Amino acid sequence: MLALHDVSVRVGELTVLDAITLAVPPGRCVGIAGPSGSGKTTLLHVAGMLLEPSLGSVTWQGTRSRDPAGWRRKTVGFVFQDFCLVPELSALANVLLPMRFAAFCSGDAAGRGIAMLAEMGIAHPHRRAGILSRGEQQRVAIARAVLNTPPLILADEPTASLDAGTGGQIAKLLIAAARQAGAALLVVSHDPALLAEMDEVRTLRGGRLA
Amino acid sequence: MNPFPMVLADWRAMRGTAVWCIVLVALAVAIGVAVGAQERALRQASARASDDFALLIGAPGSQTSLVLASVYLQVEALPLIDGANLNRLAADKRVAAVAPIAFGDVVNGYPVIGTTANFVTRWGRLAPSEGRVFEAEDEAVLGSDVRLPIGAGITPAHGAAGAPGKADPDEARHRHEGVVYKVVGRLPPTGTPWDRAILVPVETVWETHGLGNGHARDPAPLGLPFDAESIPGVPAIVVKPVGVADAYALRGQYRQGGTMALFPAEVLVSLYRNLGDVRAVLVLASALNDGLLFLSVLLLVVVLIGLRRRRYAVLRALGAPAVYVLLVVWLGTTALLAAGCLVGLALGWAGSAAAGALVAARTGLAVAAAPGADEALLVGVLVLVGGAMALVPAWLATRAPISESLRS
Repeated sequence: MLALHDVSVRVGELTVLDAITLAVPPGRCVGIAGPSGSGKTTLLHVAGMLLEPSLGSVTWQGTRSRDPAGWRRKTVGFVFQDFCLVPELSALANVLLPMRFAAFCSGDAAGRGIAMLAEMGIAHPHRRAGILSRGEQQRVAIARAVLNTPPLILADEPTASLDAGTGGQIAKLLIAAARQAGAALLVVSHDPALLAEMDEVRTLRGGRLA
Repeated sequence: MNPFPMVLADWRAMRGTAVWCIVLVALAVAIGVAVGAQERALRQASARASDDFALLIGAPGSQTSLVLASVYLQVEALPLIDGANLNRLAADKRVAAVAPIAFGDVVNGYPVIGTTANFVTRWGRLAPSEGRVFEAEDEAVLGSDVRLPIGAGITPAHGAAGAPGKADPDEARHRHEGVVYKVVGRLPPTGTPWDRAILVPVETVWETHGLGNGHARDPAPLGLPFDAESIPGVPAIVVKPVGVADAYALRGQYRQGGTMALFPAEVLVSLYRNLGDVRAVLVLASALNDGLLFLSVLLLVVVLIGLRRRRYAVLRALGAPAVYVLLVVWLGTTALLAAGCLVGLALGWAGSAAAGALVAARTGLAVAAAPGADEALLVGVLVLVGGAMALVPAWLATRAPISESLRS
């Protein structure tokens, strides 16, 4: 379970997050709503240990990680608002990218990647990511996040860059992938359609969680 | 851990910049490589050209002029020494062989050198590749690069050699009318300026200038000894001593009494020392040039990393350890510098070969600029230095805060 304990983030005089306590158990989809500038992305970065909180702590399965990069590699699947693919690499190479960080890459990784992309509706896994449509790019990004069946998926505005129709499809794919893997899913978004699919929605306002 | 897909992706993303970086580094490195290779080739070629000139004797004056005129046929008006020295040297037990070198005439831009048949064959080391060596006063032997046919009749003119194969307008006005040499042979290439010379009996050179033929009778057998009452002077005498001690003794003896004796090698060593100083300055300038260019490239890489910090932050967010990002940036930068260095090595050698061809065209000295370990070592050092310097932008790439970079 991902847990944030009394987490505060201060930047100078500004309090971005104020004493946030949040738990995301396995298999549960939690949405964080809130207006722009309310601290949603900061919250997600703290949850993914990309940002050290000024106060409080983040634990996974009850312990604090001493190796955030290693923890993310083994535990977290990240989905970004604007996909963050490497445009010069193929869709498949993007999906396999996190495996390149590991000391060893399993032999059937490419096969699994192709199968995952097919499941996401990407028919041409060897096509360069840079020339895919925005909807296809986000599908590739989701495939990258869930290929290793991570127990925790963090998604930052995954539908914000897409039209309503494509956004709806992407939301369904993301939630289905999380549920299929039994993963904890934490999504920050102000897309009502996406938030409506969540098991629980919390609202962040002025750095405080309602 | 496999950083290569990301390295390749980075190269593709900045291929225009990468190509320019490689070109600039290659040009900077090529200058250093070319200077080193050319200086070495020039030194080897000039040393090879003086191999058959163990000891030179001439009139007191500039040692360098004597060497340049005798070995490299950069014909200058040298004062003459008494021709009787030839007989004296020929009779000396310390001397294995001796020959006069008389110049000052020209045919079609090729210098005409008066000497003996023995020296034409370089003391028996060379055999004509065509025809034979001269056996009579009106015969001539060609160096390998002289474009005249065997059997041709040639008339010398007084004056300095011009462009080989092209008669100077002055040549026609200063022709020794009535003197005709018949070309009887051609020598194999020696890679020296003598390949462009026309070699004739010294007796004919003397006679052409109204000095007799050096012998009591006319005609007389060619070559030493010269038994005329008064033996004409010559600009230079080349001596092959029996041994090293003999060479030093002869040099000491002929450094007095109106003659100057020297080992061309010692003059070359002095020239090489100056050449070496020039080379050191050029290599230092080139190294500084390389260093500045490397710094510029690295600065460019730092700027590019700044622009692409979000890309590397995504890798970190996806779980890439800092060392992975460090490897991606370091390998990418080092490979660019290394590629530039290798292309520069090839360009430098090619440039040196081209410069060697130019020197050969101007002087006849076969400057064979070949790839050498020195330049390879220089490039190896540059790659190592570049690799070490590339650690700086690589390390900077790992220090950028992830959350902040993701928002950039």
